[in-house]
Amino acid sequence: MAKIDLSNISHSYNPNDPNPVYALNPFSMTWENGNRYAILGPSGCGKTTMLNIVSGLVRPSAGRILFDNKDVTDLKTEDRNIAQVFQFPVIYNTMTVYENLAFPLKCRDFSKSKTDERVNSVAETLNLKSFLNSPARKLTADQKQLISLGRGLVREDVAAVLMDEPLTVIDPDLKFRLRRNLKEINEQYKTTLVYVTHDQNEAMTFADNIIVMSEGEVVQTGSPKELFERPNTTFVGYFIGSPAMNLFESEASSNDSVKINNTLIKTHTNLSNLKTKKIKLGIRSEFIKIAQNQNENLVDVNVEKVEDLGNYKLITAKLGDFTIKSKVTRDTEIPSSKVKLHIPADRCCVYEDNKLI
Amino acid sequence: MNKLYIFLKYFFIVLWTVFVVAPFLWALTTSFKDFQSVNGGVTYIPWVDFEPNLEGWKVLIKSPAKGGVDIIEPYFNSLFVTCTASLISIILGTLSAYALSRYTFKAGFVKNNDITFFFISQRIMPPIVLSIPFFLFLSSINLLDSLTGLIVVYIVLLMPIAVWIMVDFFNKVPREIDETALIDGCNPYQAFLKVVLPNSIPGLIVAGMFCIIFGWIDFFFAFILTFTEVQLLPVKIVALNSSVTPWWSLSASALVSVAPLIIVAFIVERYLSKGNLSGAIK
Repeated sequence: MAKIDLSNISHSYNPNDPNPVYALNPFSMTWENGNRYAILGPSGCGKTTMLNIVSGLVRPSAGRILFDNKDVTDLKTEDRNIAQVFQFPVIYNTMTVYENLAFPLKCRDFSKSKTDERVNSVAETLNLKSFLNSPARKLTADQKQLISLGRGLVREDVAAVLMDEPLTVIDPDLKFRLRRNLKEINEQYKTTLVYVTHDQNEAMTFADNIIVMSEGEVVQTGSPKELFERPNTTFVGYFIGSPAMNLFESEASSNDSVKINNTLIKTHTNLSNLKTKKIKLGIRSEFIKIAQNQNENLVDVNVEKVEDLGNYKLITAKLGDFTIKSKVTRDTEIPSSKVKLHIPADRCCVYEDNKLI
Repeated sequence: MNKLYIFLKYFFIVLWTVFVVAPFLWALTTSFKDFQSVNGGVTYIPWVDFEPNLEGWKVLIKSPAKGGVDIIEPYFNSLFVTCTASLISIILGTLSAYALSRYTFKAGFVKNNDITFFFISQRIMPPIVLSIPFFLFLSSINLLDSLTGLIVVYIVLLMPIAVWIMVDFFNKVPREIDETALIDGCNPYQAFLKVVLPNSIPGLIVAGMFCIIFGWIDFFFAFILTFTEVQLLPVKIVALNSSVTPWWSLSASALVSVAPLIIVAFIVERYLSKGNLSGAIK
């Protein structure tokens, strides 16, 4: 268990090239002890590189990594006391399940009794107890992934458990249970868990801190609520939430209001310092509702389709050339093709240059 | 349709079996025949078609003074040279293959693949090209006509096979296994010995099998690099030949010389079909 500091880390896979391509642009970040972090981003955005830098499989081109204020940048993987679980289960298939789980302890010369105790306790948590003596290669894919996880959790003093999309191969049903298990383990042992994923639901339900990445850049770090309500960039707004945030190209028309399709929308953002008039207005479809008796921030739209998605209805409508989506409760009656929608001013996010103001 | 398929399947299996087994049966019966029953028309069944005798086999163990060829010493020489050279080749080959598969080497324009190809290219060269260099090399270090000299030459011949097979095999062993072992706290040597190597047993067996086969059947180098002190089995068997072809003792010697390979094949087959690696990842 440790506090992990990443200070000015950047990485390029061809650093000696005249025009190096950076897989990770410089960033600094601190991972507090005992928290659950999720690194979220589309494929190829540098998530795995970031993990490999922390575990020591990749040495960053620049920057330092500190575990509990101790510089470990030049320390080898085996000396960092870190656990990493890969996307596909990696097991030592010449060994039994017990030997697999005991391997990290054996490599570190733990006593037989201590090893026994730890392996049994981890096997208990992961429901692997009845398989302990069977050969690991005979197990199913999800059980194998449990072994990989177990090897990460078997060391109590591990600095952090890094997981690289660990639940990809696992049944949805078991996935849900495992995420809960991971949360419990985190609460029980206070292990720092870092979870890489491209699935926002997974990130949102698992982590208390989410790091959103895009093209080698850390775009936003925050709690699921922050990311949802105040996305820092239009990318985060687009990437997080289903459906994506509604974004409208618009112009500022006064100090606090913008104009979309000739309708004035009031916001709680101060727009007096804009460099250009070109801005984007972002609003979550969850906050857009059918107007009841409000008298401002109303837009007239043409309903294109209404999808019943089980626990809510999704209205897709046209506002001039823009498409607007609104998520309403299931029992909402959608009167006709012409509807007035209300856009709450306090939920509006204004972006200049795709960055939140 | 299904019945026809099964019928055809077994028909071809039986056909193939006859094709493979018949020469051995032929050799086996011939080894018990004498001049009369070999040359006096076609005979198959012992005691009915011909009277079996052990002359063909006795020649193999009789000393030359009594008109035999005594293949016992060459037999054990061959076993010793083949096994030692194969073992050393496998050890060296596996280590170099692991390095070639996992680490990046660069010397000017020469990279990993070029080094691997260099190893394989040793086998592309016709052996005759190497005969004079090897002869001069062994004579300069006084190892001509000795078991050690043969072992050295065989290592040169067998190691490329081991490297070739093992590089391919290690490339198929996912890197994540090594990385996981490092994360779990092994140093790179332990990761290789405790994790990667046990996972590579099928590859080691295949490589070992090829080394043993190629070592065991080599006639050329055994012939030109030895004279009187040391002799290997293939060379000695050729010495059996005389103006009257001794089909019976040639058959007997053919059987004893394939015997080790058949035993190896039976042992190895079990490990190969097990598919030890399946499911290491995924």
